[in-house]
Amino acid sequence: MHREAIENALFRAGYLAMLAFMLLPLVVVVVTSFEESGQLLFPPETYSLGHYRAFFAETRWLSAFDNSLLVGVGTTVVATTLGVTAAFGHELDDGRAGQLLAPLVLVPLLIPPIILGISMRVYFVRVGMDASYLSIILAHTLWATPLVYFVMRSVFSRFDWQLLDAARDLGAGPIQSFVYAVLPNVKHGIFVGALLAFIVSLQEFVMALFLSNHSTQTIPVVAWKALRQSLDPMVSVVSTFLILISVVGIVIATIATNIEWLSKQLS
Amino acid sequence: MTGTQSSLPAPVARLWEPLLERSRSKRALLLMAPLLVFELLLFVAPFLILLRISLMEGAPDLRYAAGTWSLDGYVEVFTNGVLLDPIIYSFKLGLAATAITVVIALFYAYAIWRAEGALKSALLFSVVLPLLTTLVIKTYAFRPLLSPNGTLNDVLLTLNLVSEPIQFAPGTVGVLVGQIYIVLPYAVLAIYSVLSTMDWGLVEAARDLGASRPRSFVEVVVPQAMPGILVATVISFAWSVGAYAAPGLLGSRDLAFAIEVEQRLLSNLDWEIATAYSVVMLVLMLASVAVLTVVLGRFGGEVEYA
Repeated sequence: MHREAIENALFRAGYLAMLAFMLLPLVVVVVTSFEESGQLLFPPETYSLGHYRAFFAETRWLSAFDNSLLVGVGTTVVATTLGVTAAFGHELDDGRAGQLLAPLVLVPLLIPPIILGISMRVYFVRVGMDASYLSIILAHTLWATPLVYFVMRSVFSRFDWQLLDAARDLGAGPIQSFVYAVLPNVKHGIFVGALLAFIVSLQEFVMALFLSNHSTQTIPVVAWKALRQSLDPMVSVVSTFLILISVVGIVIATIATNIEWLSKQLS
Repeated sequence: MTGTQSSLPAPVARLWEPLLERSRSKRALLLMAPLLVFELLLFVAPFLILLRISLMEGAPDLRYAAGTWSLDGYVEVFTNGVLLDPIIYSFKLGLAATAITVVIALFYAYAIWRAEGALKSALLFSVVLPLLTTLVIKTYAFRPLLSPNGTLNDVLLTLNLVSEPIQFAPGTVGVLVGQIYIVLPYAVLAIYSVLSTMDWGLVEAARDLGASRPRSFVEVVVPQAMPGILVATVISFAWSVGAYAAPGLLGSRDLAFAIEVEQRLLSNLDWEIATAYSVVMLVLMLASVAVLTVVLGRFGGEVEYA
């Protein structure tokens, strides 16, 4: 019994230390955004909202926010459309195309972002599209689509396909049967897929760095460039907003499904 | 029901009309076609172009000399120490980060699997949140923690464990910690998703038969989790070898492959070298991943039959 108690205590201490390690960096970011001085110290000596006031006066950050929003919405639309239709098609018929598609969609996630970024930049310069919003949206879509696709495959695999056949037997066309029989049952999945696509695009950094110029750069890119100059607490303000968006996104997705399912989709 | 047909936008309905007559499998193919075309245009084509440019001659004042064939880029990569050293550094970083990450991830995934209720949700949240946070934030947060006047050194000095501050960051220790933090959430979830399908009864049976808890973990849980461990290893390794943010913000003289290739590419000269450099790195990485897969697969098999 004694040995078991020690093992239990060590086990608990182990995973609580890990929990702290996982959350500490994010806590540091949020806390340092309330720093009064211009130095990045944790914990700060004095607290103030000064950097928040300065943030809303800086056009550099505000236009980066607009860029991120534009790219994020664009990525969400393209990735969700591609992912949902392809997953639906895969479910209708698991032929050779489907077997080819799954690995092809997955591989971009396993290639280091730096190498993807280089190949994308070379490609877009070649076709004369570098530094456009569209090039960043398409690059982010390459990363966001697998998430939507695998979320939807998982959702469709739990869907009762006899409902679709029943709708067809009752005389509904392909679109009608999809809209009335399939869509109401999978709309949570589509919503979570779209949300993940948006967050992935908002947070993606390496490809955006390679593909943007001064007027199209997104928040992580501006933050990176600012940090290379100096450790500016202003970056903590922006980061706090980004973390907040992810927290809200996870909470909404958890309400729509549950965190365990969400976690499995992300792996 | 016929009335609802008109509620669809006309162009969509027009596109769908021909599909009505096709067989089910043709329609499935048409639904998958957009994504297939997208992947070919934005993933396969860029890599073919990368490969083609890496086989061109260099040109003074230009990115590359179009239409030429040459191996100059590759010769430069393999003979220039300035280009070879970062590759070696990146592979060392990849191996170290992967080994530590997978061990920690296995433990944490196991803890999540065993936890229940609110604790389980909290542990899962602690993994999902960093996963959905930008690389930039995950990296620079370690600066105030690990720098010479940072939090960790304050603690160590107060406890009299060290006599003077240690510079963890900027430095190689900082790079390693930052990179582990970046890949850890992916590794944890890869292992957890395999563990969650596993039957706890198996572990209990082993314990009932007299296995100690550490032994039941090593001999029952680990072999079962092998597919997840494999995915965790591959992801951690692939991403750490290509690490850019951690060496860039937390390193001092840490010249990683990603930093070197970025400078070469953004200087907009000698693209044949930058592209050949990327191709070499990608091939070496894929070869290492293949070796890792075979080794881990064999190790997993042996443990299973033991």
